[in-house]
Amino acid sequence: MSASCEQGVTLAGDLHARPAGALAVAAGRFASAVSVTAGGHTADAKSVLGVMGLGATSGQRVTVAAAGPDAQEAVTALIAILSEATRVGGLDPATAKP
Amino acid sequence: MTAQPMSAGTVGIVLVSHSAELAEGAAHLAAQVSGGTVTIIAAGGTDDGELGTSAAKVERGLSQADSGAGVVVLPDLGSAVLTVRAVLEDHPRPGHILLTDAPFVEGAVAATVTAAAGGDIKAVAAAAEEARHVRKL
Repeated sequence: MSASCEQGVTLAGDLHARPAGALAVAAGRFASAVSVTAGGHTADAKSVLGVMGLGATSGQRVTVAAAGPDAQEAVTALIAILSEATRVGGLDPATAKP
Repeated sequence: MTAQPMSAGTVGIVLVSHSAELAEGAAHLAAQVSGGTVTIIAAGGTDDGELGTSAAKVERGLSQADSGAGVVVLPDLGSAVLTVRAVLEDHPRPGHILLTDAPFVEGAVAATVTAAAGGDIKAVAAAAEEARHVRKL
C-alpha cells in the first residue's frame, strides 16, 4: 500500500558530510521517494551531494517527507539519523568524533 | 592502495588518479562519508610512484574491488581514461565494469554512498555521473 508521511526535527548540529552520508545511505535502502527540506530548499534524501548542498545548520528545522510503500518507516529512520548524527558533529577532524 | 572491508553483493569502486595521494584521499573521504562498508580501491600514480597512471595498478584495483556485483571506475583526468580503456581492452568484462564520466571527488562520494545503500552497478554509475549537476552553492 502506498502512503505519504512527513516529520520535522530541529538539528542539534550542522548537517556535514558524514551525517549527510549516513542519511543518504539509509534513505537509499527504502523503496519510497524521500526528500529533505531545509531553509526553503528541498533535496532528494538519497542524493548525498543534494543533502550536503542544503547547507543545513545547527538549530535549523529540517523536514523529511516520504511517499511510497515504506514511507512511514523511511521517515522514522531518517528523523532518528538526523537527531543522532548531527549530535556527533561534522567532518572537521579537530571537532568530529569517529 | 586503500582497501575497505569487503561486502558481498556490493558494487566496488576504483578511483584512478594521476596522483597516488589524490586517489588515496578521495577514497578515504568517500569511505568516511559512506560508513566504510564499500570496497574502494585507490589506483593512483605510476608504478614507480611518479605522477601518472598505471595499467598494472588499475588492473589490480579492478580485481580487488570486484566482489561479484561489478565495479564502477572514476578517472580524474582524460588521460586516466586512456589507461582504463587499455586495461578493459586487454581484459574485457562487458557490463561488469563501468567507466564513468564524473567529477572525481563528488562522483566518488556519491557513487560510494549509493553502493553502500545497496544500489546496483547502473545506479552507482548514475550517481557518479549525476554528481556533475549538483550545485555546491
